[in-house]
This record gives sequence, structure tokens and C-alpha cells, in this order.
Amino acid sequence: MDRAFKARLERRFGEQLTGPIRQRHDETEIRIGAGDVVPVITALHDEPEFAFEFLADLAGVDTGEVMQVVYHLWSPTTPDWLRVIADGLSRDDPRAPSVTFLWKGAEWMEREAYDMFGITFEGNRDLRRIYMPPDYRSFPLRKDFYLADDAARSPGAGVRPMERTHAPSETPRAAPVRRIGAGTTRTPR
Amino acid sequence: MTATTPRSDAWTHTSSLGDDAFAGEPDDPRIKLDRDLGIFEPVPPYPPRTEREAEFYTLRDGEMFLNMGPQHPSTHGVLRVVLKLDGEKVVDLDPVLGYLHRGVEKLCENADYHQAICYLDPLEYVSSLFCEWPGVMAFEKLLDVEVPRRAEYIRVLSGELNRVASHALFLGWMALDLGGLTPILWSFIERDEIVEMLASLTGQRMLFNYFRIGGVNGDLNHEFMSRLGDWMGHATEQIEAGNNLLNENEIFVRRMRGLGTIDSKTALRMTMSGPNLRATGVPFDMRRAHPYSIYPELDFDIPTRDEGDCLARYLLRMDEIKQSLRIIDQCLHQMPDGPIMAKLPRLLRPRPGRAYAGIEAPRGQYGVYAISDGTDQPFRMRIHDPSFLHLQSVGLMMPGHLVADTMAVMASLDPIMGGVDK
Repeated sequence: MDRAFKARLERRFGEQLTGPIRQRHDETEIRIGAGDVVPVITALHDEPEFAFEFLADLAGVDTGEVMQVVYHLWSPTTPDWLRVIADGLSRDDPRAPSVTFLWKGAEWMEREAYDMFGITFEGNRDLRRIYMPPDYRSFPLRKDFYLADDAARSPGAGVRPMERTHAPSETPRAAPVRRIGAGTTRTPR
Repeated sequence: MTATTPRSDAWTHTSSLGDDAFAGEPDDPRIKLDRDLGIFEPVPPYPPRTEREAEFYTLRDGEMFLNMGPQHPSTHGVLRVVLKLDGEKVVDLDPVLGYLHRGVEKLCENADYHQAICYLDPLEYVSSLFCEWPGVMAFEKLLDVEVPRRAEYIRVLSGELNRVASHALFLGWMALDLGGLTPILWSFIERDEIVEMLASLTGQRMLFNYFRIGGVNGDLNHEFMSRLGDWMGHATEQIEAGNNLLNENEIFVRRMRGLGTIDSKTALRMTMSGPNLRATGVPFDMRRAHPYSIYPELDFDIPTRDEGDCLARYLLRMDEIKQSLRIIDQCLHQMPDGPIMAKLPRLLRPRPGRAYAGIEAPRGQYGVYAISDGTDQPFRMRIHDPSFLHLQSVGLMMPGHLVADTMAVMASLDPIMGGVDK
């Protein structure tokens, strides 16, 4: 854990953070709104104090209540991974700005997040499905998409409907997350 | 010829046999030809949806499309590449993925923490240990488990052996894609020795499933050690022999030099990592950049090359094999005694949290991002595969080169489709 790094982040991005900075093991986590992604990530990439020049990962996350886009960044200025969470994307119409202007290579990772979660990255010039066929109509990694053969979790009611998300033409609506047989479920914040 | 839209019949029905080739087919609606499904047609049967797709699927004067794959023998799995050609020269290309997609991330979310590790092996199936490694590391971070030192040493030892096997196979595959048959036979001898060795350690030849959360599955045994000892005796010599076969081959060297060049700035912008990034001169290796396991205690170098072409990527991997042998040697000398597993309950329920683990796999930075919600299953499991990003940058390297060089460039990046398609 790099305490000095936490202080630097707080000083530079104080008003843009939407939650406390968390540190655990070799990771530092900050949360920002989707509107602040471009200024914050650009500052992290460009300013020599941070110099996060390597994008280690870009992932979509569906918490069941909101969508998130999670960036993992690496820099020689700190021994920690920096995790930037663009929080609070609506599940009905998740939108986030693209970071392809900094890392062209993020294009396929954003395509994957679009394919799996339906997150629209504004500014990505090739946002089409990448794994699923082009006429596929749902987003498989969303939490309201159940596996058909989830026998281990099945209460014995038989096979579940393959998918419960909606076609992109209809208005998607958030369904409550229900994990079967898991006892009390706490949604990670 | 004027610019053709993707809907044009001129391209969707071009066949040397003509449409009459199918004239004798029974008119049974149940019989679906590939032609009817349209899945192998280079031009998609719908209007373009994105800027890039519209640009790619518009032909200028004298250009044509060519499908390479998905059953092309040198695509290292099931990959389709749509090439846009001007005569023999590649103008642009569009890789089409998903033929091998299994939804591993979703499967992991529906399995418990121990089961999820098994799903990781078949991702990059020539370096399976490196797929398990970030998975167990991320889970260990969620659980706050400390791995015994002996287990870490065994992980590094078996991992580096796997890296040598993977790089040795790379040598063979690349030569095969260029039309040389001998190196693949030689490198399979090399790989088989290592694979048999790891089989005696892990019980499996290919999908080892050896790492466990908190340690490894089994301790070093007599058969493994005796096989390792035999191999260490002639490994350097054998690898040198394989190298000399290619390094002094005029045809190979002249073809690879200057092919598929990429500079360090572009490589970073394309989020490349591993040997492909180091071949452009950036000494970026997760083992040193973000140290994990026992790598800070080991003495090894990070080889780099400045050219950034196919030859540099090949030579760099051969240098890495030598460094791996150094690491194996040090592991054997420094191997401590002790337990190989941390004490853990059988059913794991980490407290809610998030963890990311990234390691240096033979192909680059391999990462797993896991979220726990307090239950016995990962809430979200993101797998970051370097091959995926390297395949993306083929599009930047190819323009101006010949059709036959597509596979040479692709082979030099060493993508594994099992990992690309997840």
C-alpha cells in the first residue's frame, strides 16, 4: 500500500472522487462519475506526477443496480495498481466515454464490454459485437442473464429461460438481482 | 469499378464455379448451406453499423476481399481474417472473433472459487499454468491468504518450465507458418520432454490444474526431479540447435527482418505487453515492473530488442528461454522446505471486495480481476488476455505487406485463440 500515492490522488482529484480512496494489498482504488472519465484518465496518463502509461485492463461490471467501467492502470511512479471505477452508469442505458484517444488498444476491450454488458462507449469508432454473432440480441454477462443449465444452483424447478434481457430495440429495464441458493447476498459496493 | 457497398451482389456471389455449382442440390428447406447462412461470406449481409465497418467494407478501385479462415491451418485455432487486398498487397484487415467463445467469465461466476480455477486452464492451452496463476493470486488477495514459500518456489519452477515449453513451440509454429517443417518436429521433442515432466508433477499433460488457492496441488516427486535433471543436462544444447537451424537460415532471416514493424509508442498505445512490447525496446516485464511471488529474490535479466519486427520478436523469445533456464536453476538451488498449502477451509467465502492480479505470461500481461460479494462464488471474474490485444494490432502491422506474410506476422505475435476468444 502506497500511502503517499493516496495523498497525491486526493490532492489532485479531490472534488472529482465520488467515494473514499480504498487501499488493500497492492491496489489503490478510486471512484469517479462517468462524466469525469476523460479529464481524470487524461491527467493520470499525461501528468509526470502520475505517468500511468500502461492500461492493464478495461472491464465492464454489472453490480445488479448500476453498471461500472473499471480501468486498471500501471505506472512506474507507484508500486500499486491503480483501479479507476467509473461508477453509476444506469442499467437502462449505460454510457461511458471511450479512452481510445489515449490507448487505441482499448478499442477491442470496449467492444467486449459492449458485447457482454451493452455499455455504449462514446467515441469508439468500432463499437460492434466481438464474440457473439452480430444478430445476437442480449448481453450475457449482465446479472439478469441466467445460464440455462445452472444445475448446481437450481432449486429443482428445471431449466431456466435462456435469457431475460431485452432486445436493444425495446427499452431495457433493470431486473432485481436474485442469486439462487446463496443465502444472504450482499451486493459489492 | 466504383466503390461497392457491402450489399453488392458482385462480391457476395463470386465463385470460380459460379452459382450453377449448386444447381443440382435438392430444394429442401431443411438443408442449410454455408452459403445460405452467410457466415463465411467476407462481406456481412447487413448494412455497416459502425464508422470503421463502413470504411472497411467499402472497396476502392482495384481492391477485393479475401476470407482467411476460420479453418485456415495457420490461424492457430479458429480465427477468420477478412483481408482487403490490392493485388497481392494487404490494404487492411478485419479479424472476426468468437468461433471459440465459451463464456468462461460467465461460467466462473456460476462456479465456486475452487471450480473457477479449472475453467482458466483451457484459455491459453500451451501455457496453462500462467492462466491459473493470476486466478489463484486474485483469490488469495480476496481471502488475505499467504502462500507458503515452498509453494511459491514450486509455482515459479513449474511456471518457467511451462514458459520454455511455450516459447519452444512458438519457434516451431512460426517456422511452420513460413513453410519450414523441421523446426516444429524439433520443438515438439523439446516441448514433449517438459510436458512429460510436468505431467509427472501435476498428473496432466496439457491442462494441468495444478495451482490451488493457497498453494499447489502436490509436492515435487522423484520422477519429476529425475526428468528435470535429465533435461537440464541437454536443454541449452538442444535449444541452441533449434535456434541455429533458423538463425542461420538465409530465407527465414531475410523474410522476417523488417516485417510487421511496430514502434514502442504505438505498441504502448495498442496496450501490447510481454515479448511483443519488449521487442520494440521497452523493458516492461511484470516480474520486475510489478513484482509478485518470489521474483524479487531471483536474479535474471529482461532482454529487449529495438527493431520491433518479426525477427526481433522471434530472437527475443529465444533470449527469454535462456533467462528462464537461469531462473529454474536458481529455484532448484534455493528451494526451501516446508508446507505447500496454506491452511484454508474447504468452502471459501471471502469478504466482499475487489482484487486484481497481473502476471507475466509467455505472451504478456495476463490478469484476473475478481469481485467477491461474500458468497462462495465470484461475483464477477474478468480475464484479461494479452493475445487478444496482440491480435488487434495485426491490423496496424499488415498494410503494405503480402498476403502470405499475414500468417507470418500473426505467428510472430504468438496469439492463442483459446485465450483470445475466452
